[in-house]
Amino acid sequence: MILVHIALRNLLSHKVKSSIVGGLLVFGTILVVLGQSLLGSLDRSMSTSIVNSMSGHVQVYSKDAKDPLALFGGMGGGNEIGHIENFPKIRKAIEALPEVAAVVPMGIDQAIVFGGNILDVKLEQLRAAEKAKDRNRIRILRAHVRRIVGMLESELKNLKGFTDESRMSEDMRSGLRDLPQATSDTFWNSFDADPLSHLELLENKIAKLAIGEDMFFLRYIGTDTERFRKVFDRFEMVDGTPIPPGQRGFLFNKLTYEEQVKHKTARRLDKMKDRMAEGFAIAKDEELQQAIKLNRAQYKEITYQLDDDAADLVRVAMQTELGSKEPALEKLVDAFMNMDDANFARRYKVFYDAVAPNLRLYSIKVGDTMTINGMTQSGYSTSVNVKVYGTFRFRSLDRSALAGSANITDLMTYRDLFGFMTADKQAEIQQLQKASGVKAVTRENAEADLFGGSGGEEVTDTTGVTPTDAPADATPAAVAAGTPPPDNARTFAASLQQRVYSPTEIDGGIVRNAAIMLKPGADERKAIQEIKDINDRENLGLKVVDWREASGIVGQFVGVIYAVLATSILVIFIVALVIMNNSMVMATMERTREIGTMRAIGAQRSEILKMFIVEALVMAAVFGSIGCVLAGTVVTWLGQIGIVARNDFMIFLFAGPRLYPFLSLTHIVVAFFVVFLVTLISTLYPALLATRITPLAAMQDAE
Amino acid sequence: MNQTSSIVRLQQVDKDYYLGKVVVPALRGIDLDIAAGEFTVIAGPSGSGKTTLLNLIGCVDVCTRGNVSVDGHDTAKLTERELTRLRLERLGFIFQSFNLVGVLDAFQNVEFPLLLQRKLNKAERRERVMDLLKAVGIDNHSHHRPNELSGGQRQRVAIARALVTQPRIVLADEPTANLDSATGNAIVDLMEKLNGEGTTFLFSTHDPRVVGRAGRVVRMVDGRIVPPGAETAAPQPLHA
Ligand SMILES: Nc1ncnc2c1ncn2[C@@H]1O[C@H](COP(=O)(O)OP(=O)(O)OP(=O)(O)O)[C@@H](O)[C@H]1O
Ligand SMILES: [Mg+2]
Repeated sequence: MILVHIALRNLLSHKVKSSIVGGLLVFGTILVVLGQSLLGSLDRSMSTSIVNSMSGHVQVYSKDAKDPLALFGGMGGGNEIGHIENFPKIRKAIEALPEVAAVVPMGIDQAIVFGGNILDVKLEQLRAAEKAKDRNRIRILRAHVRRIVGMLESELKNLKGFTDESRMSEDMRSGLRDLPQATSDTFWNSFDADPLSHLELLENKIAKLAIGEDMFFLRYIGTDTERFRKVFDRFEMVDGTPIPPGQRGFLFNKLTYEEQVKHKTARRLDKMKDRMAEGFAIAKDEELQQAIKLNRAQYKEITYQLDDDAADLVRVAMQTELGSKEPALEKLVDAFMNMDDANFARRYKVFYDAVAPNLRLYSIKVGDTMTINGMTQSGYSTSVNVKVYGTFRFRSLDRSALAGSANITDLMTYRDLFGFMTADKQAEIQQLQKASGVKAVTRENAEADLFGGSGGEEVTDTTGVTPTDAPADATPAAVAAGTPPPDNARTFAASLQQRVYSPTEIDGGIVRNAAIMLKPGADERKAIQEIKDINDRENLGLKVVDWREASGIVGQFVGVIYAVLATSILVIFIVALVIMNNSMVMATMERTREIGTMRAIGAQRSEILKMFIVEALVMAAVFGSIGCVLAGTVVTWLGQIGIVARNDFMIFLFAGPRLYPFLSLTHIVVAFFVVFLVTLISTLYPALLATRITPLAAMQDAE
Repeated sequence: MNQTSSIVRLQQVDKDYYLGKVVVPALRGIDLDIAAGEFTVIAGPSGSGKTTLLNLIGCVDVCTRGNVSVDGHDTAKLTERELTRLRLERLGFIFQSFNLVGVLDAFQNVEFPLLLQRKLNKAERRERVMDLLKAVGIDNHSHHRPNELSGGQRQRVAIARALVTQPRIVLADEPTANLDSATGNAIVDLMEKLNGEGTTFLFSTHDPRVVGRAGRVVRMVDGRIVPPGAETAAPQPLHA
């Protein structure tokens, strides 16, 4: 067609116009294609991260929720998402849908766990040694405990000037009263006469002074642990074993475990190692220097934990490494921690070979039973003992803090913590009410351990929670937490750890939200619609959201960038529109005589308009194609080398260390659509001008 | 001359231009008949109204008063679309500055009106265009674009384009004004030859040598046609 020919020819002959318009169109196309491709792959990788680690494709929660569900935390921080009453019915209804693979019940909350301080551990060991009448161990442990108490005293003395005694808790005050006695020679000399009462004083009064040494804030998902493990394929165990099906238990997220539970000095050394592997040098990097400073300042983190035997071992190892004869451990640790780029690798090894084995490397070990202190929905403290079965991670997200903050526990434990009245809890309360809870829980535990208990590996929180402000109408759960359980309650609690719950029991109680995993290849949108339909039809009382919405700000991340990108593309194209419009108007003016001539020799206005439209289309096609080819090349190239994630958040977004963008036909189609639209719009005005040119323009010339 | 044989007929035609509120009378009481087969020249000094007259006949402008009929149609009564159609089907145009479409080659320029007409198929168009290019002597340059042709060659292409639709009349406003005299003469030769083959020509000029070659001369002064009687009174260095 001659018009296409004219259009092409015009493109070539109007060089300035063509290069301006062409440049804009090519740039715009690249932006559209690249942006879509990046966001598309980001969306996909994020969905891998989020969907397959904990959200599933769809989340449901109570329609009465006050706050929106935010699996990874939201803006408002509100957690009032209500609860789902009749989960078995919901599960049955939703799992009947052809697209749905599984429905996993959940509840997400936060809790505090006290890692138990070294004094507790040592006292426990001492109690065991006294029981076993192991003279040598007793001697070493007594010396160590005495040293710790001594350090505690000097620490508290320093503190005394700053703290107002009247604002201390009763425990604190009584502990402080007894402290001089516990450090006196008389006390230690008379230890042999009555070890039990001496231990009791230390355990019940003095150990309370050392609280807060290791306190963790844990975010956890209470869930059907067995289903969770099977449904979320990113889940994998690192240490230990999965929670046995139907039983209570706790799994630490490996990252949380390393960040919070690990010995602080060891953790800092690990992080230094990682950072140096990334190419940073101690000599130049402030962060590394800061870590060294901390390690030196916190030498007590090491010395505090060492009894005399261990101290000897560490001393020798450090003296050898440092080539020093220095006898003082504090000075040795300080010198040892003063690392540089040359000796870091060696000292790191020495630390783990010779020092770490003598330390409590993790304040809660796999296999320990720990006390989780939660806050019920009505605002009272509650605590539950639960066994730590192991650690897990979300595959390829193990360095991402967002994915790494979620720990896992069973639903029963979750319900207890959250203050839902489970049958167990009610039974426990009855036990409690029968008994007179005079003795402290720690005492009970200790006695159980000392006299035929379950062995010394249980670390039980000694500080507990002190709901002194619990009012008269406190919920039973709060009462349960506040009052130490007596003997029969204690055995009852132990039996809970062994209990295997039936699926009916697990599903039967209250859950707060549920993850719905779709079958591979299922259409997400269609499935959501179906779930919504069934929700309405069967009156399930649910709010149905996709994983993006469910995951809080993180999930909306892509949406936000998409909006930003769309806006900037819009702005760029509006600017392009104006520029293109101007340059085309100018080009049209230049062509006045040509157009006038065409009109004179018989071209209708509509034909002139057609010519302009064809020209616009040709222009869009040519420059759109160039843009697509360029963008396609870039995307393909990026798809091969991958975009490197530079921080934890990016690892999470990329579902791994690199993002591999991909190109889809839709991206190209959308880009062409946009380019055609913009070109046509920018042609509109110049085309209108052109149709107004009269044939007279052909005559009025030359002169 | 009877009415039916005339292609163009003007009766008492006035044309006023308006420059703001000032009325510029460009034509005054023009009566003119052009019959088929004529080779007519409109002569007159600059500003005498030649271009204005040709524009009225060429249906690119309408008169202020009077009656202009082209090929039997009263142009005042036609719509814009119909006028355009009339130009396409019945008229041929040759311009002073050739006005070829710069991005098209000689062949395509000549073919252009045929494409607008949509009457002939590709082969027919090709034959028609090549015949004409041969007739104007440009067949060797059919693939040259205007900027690769000399002024005379361009005007030949323009003449071919004007003739390609086999119009009832070809209008040309000073077709030789932008050419040197030798080339201009050759162009007039060509038009004469084509007139001999049956095409009606009406063109303006103020080149006395060209006027001398015309079959019929319409002389204009100040927007009026000088009556034939006064014609002889005009100085005649033309035949010298
Ligand atoms: N568009 C216009 N607006 C106003 N006046 C015009 C216009 N076109 C022509 N005129 C006036 O009309 C008169 C006739 O002009 P026209 O162009 O027809 O003369 P011409 O004989 O073709 O002159 P030339 O030999 O210089 O081409 C002149 O006085 C001119 O100034
Ligand atoms: Mg003129």
